[in-house]
Amino acid sequence: MKLDVRGEICPYPMMRTVDALGKLPPNEELEVLTDHAPALATIPWEASKRGYAVDVEKVRSGEWKLTLRKTQGPLDPIAVVQEITQKTNMGG
Amino acid sequence: MSVSAHIGPLGARVVPAALGLATLMARMVPDPSMGELAPKIHVWPLGANVLIGGLLFGVGMVVAGGCISGTLWRIGEGYVGSLVALGGILLGLEGAALSWNWWWENSMSRAPLIWLPHSLGHMGAWISVMAALAVLYLLTYWWEARRAGPEVRFPGQPQPPLVTFEDRRLALWNRLFVQAWPASAAAVALSLLNVTAFAFDHPLGVTGELSGWSSRAFGLLGLYPGRLEGLDQFSGCNLVDAPPGLLTNTFMLDVGLVFGAFAASVMASEFKIRVPRQLLRYLQSAMGGTLMGYGSGIALGCTIGAFFSAIPSLGLNGWLFGLGLLGGAFVGSQIIRRLA
Repeated sequence: MKLDVRGEICPYPMMRTVDALGKLPPNEELEVLTDHAPALATIPWEASKRGYAVDVEKVRSGEWKLTLRKTQGPLDPIAVVQEITQKTNMGG
Repeated sequence: MSVSAHIGPLGARVVPAALGLATLMARMVPDPSMGELAPKIHVWPLGANVLIGGLLFGVGMVVAGGCISGTLWRIGEGYVGSLVALGGILLGLEGAALSWNWWWENSMSRAPLIWLPHSLGHMGAWISVMAALAVLYLLTYWWEARRAGPEVRFPGQPQPPLVTFEDRRLALWNRLFVQAWPASAAAVALSLLNVTAFAFDHPLGVTGELSGWSSRAFGLLGLYPGRLEGLDQFSGCNLVDAPPGLLTNTFMLDVGLVFGAFAASVMASEFKIRVPRQLLRYLQSAMGGTLMGYGSGIALGCTIGAFFSAIPSLGLNGWLFGLGLLGGAFVGSQIIRRLA
């Protein structure tokens, strides 16, 4: 499933992602497109609390794609966000 | 949602930390005798207008998605919604100018003015404010750990070993202009900037200049608020009836914020024209902006002039405005949750 929240600012990218996760069919992943940098912190935080792992990829200047996948077992939101922080390159 | 999301990725703790340093440094600026206020400090009476202005501002900044300085730098980063919010701010400032004399008569002219050095001495005032900020710092720390997510930093690509001069030069460039600054470094820079601004002219503030723009724009439509009573008695981000000019500190500060944010986002390759797709978001920006403009107009400043610059000025008005902000932000966050 794809969710385009470009143009939205906090808290809406996160709220609409949580909403979409509720409607996501089992075994499917959710792709979220955002152009709001603070959402790179809020979306992974909420997603990991719901058992989703998140990959972040910079698409172009000021635009990122987040891929959310269901994982086995509980996730530690702090560790998840820290890992994304390590990977995300704001300098592109 | 957390307040920190509204003031950027640095985290809410920057605010007390920066206020603390500005307070510390303000002691180095020569002060006149104890009998009167130091010139150009942001201290004014504790009128209901300060609290109500803070409340309206708090609601507005959450609904619009950023405070007034936030609106300016987001314009620089390409947020179209922030341009709409700026329109609202100018409208609200005009409303504040039109109703200012009522606020002056019924609130400001009767309210007590409390400058802490009068009653506690400079040292006593300084220690009290620093202690209060320390408590606030710990409270925010505790609140963030409990409610919000962890502080996120963007460290950029893993650094290669720094061997040559070129490696080091590039790393320094990246640290300064590409990656986000650590919260503590940004807080220190902001505080030093505010103290410098105070030493040379007056503390930082962005709304006085904007009120000049608003007054000029609405003057073209034939709307003149007339004489504003009492504003010559203190020096905050007072409403003015004309922009002071292009080569002034306030004009350069406001326009510089936009260009600075533009430059920073381009260097971090993060600039993009961001266009909201729902009509509701434009309405939110316009309404939130109007509330912020009106609130900052009657309270003599925004989160910068009436709060960030007011608390180190050692008056109580900055704290009263802050209390209003807190309440308003809470109400605002209840509103935006229902507007998904």
